[in-house]
Amino acid sequence: MTKQFTFKGAPEMPTIPISLGDMVWNKTGTWRIQRPFYEDKAPPCNAACPAGNDIVAFIQKIAKEDFEGAWTILKEENPFPGICGRVCFHPCESKCNRGSFDEPISIHALERFVADFATSQHKKMKWMAEKGREKVAIIGSGPAGLSCAFHLTKLHYNVTVFESFSLSGGMLRLGIPSYRLPKDVLDREISDMEALGVEIRRGVTLGENLRLEDLKDYQAIFIAIGAHQSRGLGIPGEKRKNVFSGLDILRKINLNKRVKLGDKIAIIGGGNTAIDVARSVIRLGKKATILYRRSKEEMPAFEEEISEALEEGVKIRYLVNPIRIGQKDGLKRLECLRMELGEKDESGRRRPLPISNSNFFIEVEDVIVAAGEEIEVSFLPKGMEKKEGIVLTQKDGSTGVKGIFAGGDLTSNQRTVAHAIGSGKKAAMAIDCYFRDKDSEEAIRQTFIGEGPSISIFRYLHPGERVMDSHIVTFEELNMDYFESAKRQKESKRLIKERIKGFDEVTSTLTNSSAIEEAERCFNCGTCNECENCYVFCPDASILKRGEDLSHQVDYDFCKGCGICLTECPRGAISLEEEAR
Amino acid sequence: MKRVITGNQAVAYGVILSRVEVISAYPITPQTTIVEELSELIASGRLNTRFLKVESEHSAMAALIGASTGGVRCFTATSSHGLAYMHEMLHWASGARLPIVMVNVNRAIGPPWNIWNDQSDSLSQRDTGWIQFYCENNQEVLDTILQAYRIAESVKLPVMVVLDAYVLSHTSEPVEIPSMDEVDAFLPPYCPEFPIDTQEPRSYSVIATPEHFFEFRYKVQKAMEEVPEVVKKVDNEFRARFGRGYGAIERYGKEEAEVLLITSGTVTSTSGIVIRKLIEKGRSVAGVKIKRFRPFPSEEIYKVIRGAKKLAVIDRNLSPGVGGIFAHELRASLYSGEERPEVFGFISGLGGRDITPDLIEEAIQYTWEHPRPEGEILWLGLKK
Amino acid sequence: MKNMEIPLSENLGHGHLACAGCGAAISMRLTLKALGEKTVMVFPASCWSIIPGFWPYSSYRITAIHAGFVTGGATASGVRAALDIRGDHETLVTVWAGDGATFDIGLQALSGAAERNEDIIYICNDNEGYMNTGTQRSSATPYLAWTTTTPVMQPKENPKKDIMAIMADHQIPYAATATIAYPEDLIKKMEKAKKIRGSRFIHLLSPCPPGWRTPSEVSVKISRLAVRSRVFPLYEIENGRTYTIQEETRIVPVREYLKLQGRFSHLTEKDIEEIQKRVDDTWERLMKRARC
Repeated sequence: MTKQFTFKGAPEMPTIPISLGDMVWNKTGTWRIQRPFYEDKAPPCNAACPAGNDIVAFIQKIAKEDFEGAWTILKEENPFPGICGRVCFHPCESKCNRGSFDEPISIHALERFVADFATSQHKKMKWMAEKGREKVAIIGSGPAGLSCAFHLTKLHYNVTVFESFSLSGGMLRLGIPSYRLPKDVLDREISDMEALGVEIRRGVTLGENLRLEDLKDYQAIFIAIGAHQSRGLGIPGEKRKNVFSGLDILRKINLNKRVKLGDKIAIIGGGNTAIDVARSVIRLGKKATILYRRSKEEMPAFEEEISEALEEGVKIRYLVNPIRIGQKDGLKRLECLRMELGEKDESGRRRPLPISNSNFFIEVEDVIVAAGEEIEVSFLPKGMEKKEGIVLTQKDGSTGVKGIFAGGDLTSNQRTVAHAIGSGKKAAMAIDCYFRDKDSEEAIRQTFIGEGPSISIFRYLHPGERVMDSHIVTFEELNMDYFESAKRQKESKRLIKERIKGFDEVTSTLTNSSAIEEAERCFNCGTCNECENCYVFCPDASILKRGEDLSHQVDYDFCKGCGICLTECPRGAISLEEEAR
Repeated sequence: MKRVITGNQAVAYGVILSRVEVISAYPITPQTTIVEELSELIASGRLNTRFLKVESEHSAMAALIGASTGGVRCFTATSSHGLAYMHEMLHWASGARLPIVMVNVNRAIGPPWNIWNDQSDSLSQRDTGWIQFYCENNQEVLDTILQAYRIAESVKLPVMVVLDAYVLSHTSEPVEIPSMDEVDAFLPPYCPEFPIDTQEPRSYSVIATPEHFFEFRYKVQKAMEEVPEVVKKVDNEFRARFGRGYGAIERYGKEEAEVLLITSGTVTSTSGIVIRKLIEKGRSVAGVKIKRFRPFPSEEIYKVIRGAKKLAVIDRNLSPGVGGIFAHELRASLYSGEERPEVFGFISGLGGRDITPDLIEEAIQYTWEHPRPEGEILWLGLKK
Repeated sequence: MKNMEIPLSENLGHGHLACAGCGAAISMRLTLKALGEKTVMVFPASCWSIIPGFWPYSSYRITAIHAGFVTGGATASGVRAALDIRGDHETLVTVWAGDGATFDIGLQALSGAAERNEDIIYICNDNEGYMNTGTQRSSATPYLAWTTTTPVMQPKENPKKDIMAIMADHQIPYAATATIAYPEDLIKKMEKAKKIRGSRFIHLLSPCPPGWRTPSEVSVKISRLAVRSRVFPLYEIENGRTYTIQEETRIVPVREYLKLQGRFSHLTEKDIEEIQKRVDDTWERLMKRARC
């Protein structure tokens, strides 16, 4: 019906001014001085995730009740949703824009929910290693090593992981207690890895029964041996009997070995290890007191861990620094100084300064030192030196030695599971680039979520798909008119007195309906979720529905550039640019 | 069936016989008995008609414009101030090419208030694009309404049928009322050119730019130019069926006459008596009744004025600054003709003052005696 | 957040001449979705005499009859009569009139039609002024607003006429307010009106970027603020007596609504307080009428 009419004269015209055609020939798009377009942008959660999870996407799937779809999305970036969903410190939640409205989304709980769903459905990865392609050796089966293995195998390489210990998992198994990460969950996620095609050889230790020369059949090596040496305090009495290292205690407990401890235990340190040790000690029926030299605000341990520890009866004494471990009448006598906080140090935290003549004594039966972990590099080749506690690498994880890459706790002071997973992913990309003779730094930069450093392997494998602008969506860019305050769904926790009876898991998975309800709270910052506000409010009906995937498109023939779609988009998924003329 | 009825009753009969489907009207003296009559007839179930008792004349015409666009035969009646109030909508009905028929009872427009016979109301609407017929008696009123629908629906222009206040509207005369069957045979149902069809939706009366407006107005004029032929045809058919015909104008009196008296409406009847009397006295005088005022019957007039030296026009109306409107239009019309008789423009009877036989005779006498009129306007019966 | 359920048919075609961001275009689009194809709409003079395009084109995909400025209620009465006589009782007869044609020059015809309880839906597209002719004041222009005939030195001194109260007092079966920021509510009310016989009146608030001096992208936002500030509450009146208020829970001070609009940029603090007082009074009055 989009004819245009011309009349030579009156006889050709109808008797009355009745309409003969429509106005579709009139392309009002020519009026525009600015042009709207759909542009997904980085949500703050995605940008904050060190493992590079596509959080907004997996939550969208949950909201649509497509739990399997959510699992697929998680497993694209992260081999360990079940693990992260239990132990991650969820920086995503701190950055969640919903937090500025009512409460942040329980992303952590949702990730766990998806993993547990997959478990209940017996979902498994399919074999992806390809014969005839390059071989990569990975030293260390902790989260960094296994993440690298996972992604390299998905890139169809052949990967062999060499694990020093008789069981795989690294810190996941040896450092994190079962009440936070049950061993069967860990085992399942690792066996999924092996189903994918990763070969894990246990009981092979670099520097002992494995030398680098043995690995000449491998075209690249990724070293992710972690940090398992306990840092000493450097105080007299540290070497006495019954002064244990926190890592050793945790290892014994995690391997179900008997731990002999007295009743009253002092734990020196402020990190997650100290907290884990303290809470494990409680579960062994003992009393635990943590001594930390700074204040609560500076404690590096995760907030939730600290509060759960306190709930369970762990005592924490702040601004206390032991300077000597003595012995008296079968008890350990800790001489301590009170501390006060001074200026900020390199870590950004206020430096603890001893208050002279504030010495006092604490008497306990055993002392456990959990003051940090250190790396061991004696067996590493030249070019992989320790500097300021870590092995330095290039931005892409490559070392001074050609073909050798490194990552995880070995190369970073940001020692979390999520960071390790991200580091392994990055190394996998770097190794792929190394084999393909591609500029790895550029390739990795292309996969940044937001401005980085979080990266997406999906973007690496499918450039041009699921395009997401690097701008991170702020709260001000969202339209709160479309959201109502809603209660945050949380995982339920077992009663405290039940919890401390043993090492069973403290929290339980969300129910299906809770998960969906929580997922529906997600603003979906920066990502179109087809709410169709744009379609409803366009004065010129110039938002076309395409059906199926990313279903909306601006009809530039008629769009007048008013910008209502942008204003009414609840999630900032539409951008505006000047119309080029 | 012959009955003795008033002009307003004759209108009512005309409307019923025409099977009008929607009536929309607002009362104003002296039209009121039309709508009263129609209300009764509709309420008694004799007519399947919707009567919208609207709240003003402007709304009355607007409602008919809506109804006519909706594809049904419509009718309204008004007078004087009511007609003036409708003015905007008169233009609209014509521009929208809707075959609406309206009866206007000629009444003066105030101030001062005046409810009696005067032609100024209908004539002041002469530029609105309506066909106008002036009736001399109640029979003609009824007959003209029947013809009006045929004409309107043929050329797609609205028609105004005019009768004099009180002299016709409230005066009883014998009228032959045709039967429904006879009229049905003469007047088929209305078939609009652009019926509303929600399956093929269209927009009516769309705004037109200078690019097209001119041609639409041209078409209105062209339609007006078809009217004389159509009126003749319809009138001839009417005459054949019902034995009565009127033409656009009617000449009566002496075959060859020097003085022609031009009148319209009931004045014609009175003039007829006077002219008969004068002819008996040996005067060379004749009369012309103008029935169809719009479009102005120039061609027809040229034919009947041959040989006449003087035309005396009696206008029961006044266009201030110009004079009598029939005289004015006649002079303009004559300018294109071959003959140039003198035109004596008499104005008389405004606001219902009787135009008596004596006054008419005075006018003819004056015309006879003077070679040319002493002024543009000759006031007849004015108290000076 | 569930998606809004909106009928998919488009009965206002592309290429129409409404300004970018025209609130009325959204009103029209949503209204025609609700009313459907079997609709005749009478258009007394307004922006909508121009927006659908010039002859020989029209963007309307329903039957549209352009009519004289004054005549909305009357022309529609005639159309309704004609369709009824022809035996068509299904086709909807509606009027789409601006605030000028409703509150002012066409009030008589509307009142007449309502008094006769004509079976039509009369929709008043209220942009609070004579916008088609360049933003002159109407009796729908709010108190203290700027228009070209109420310049900043002498802004509109009289309050907005309460058209809903006027229509309610005609005892018509249904009257309702609606606006574009609440599309599902608007559509629901249109669909409800469709099912009722007799005179139905819908009062739509349509923000006008050039007339209200607002940027084109905030038309929906302003319409929402109008409701939330109680300047334009959403409610229905049945048979002149029964009130149903669509309660808004997030109430904002009228200042939030006024500050986005250039036509109010000359207001002093005192003016704003006065306006807030009047808004509160009007709301109280509505509540009282609703309770009776």
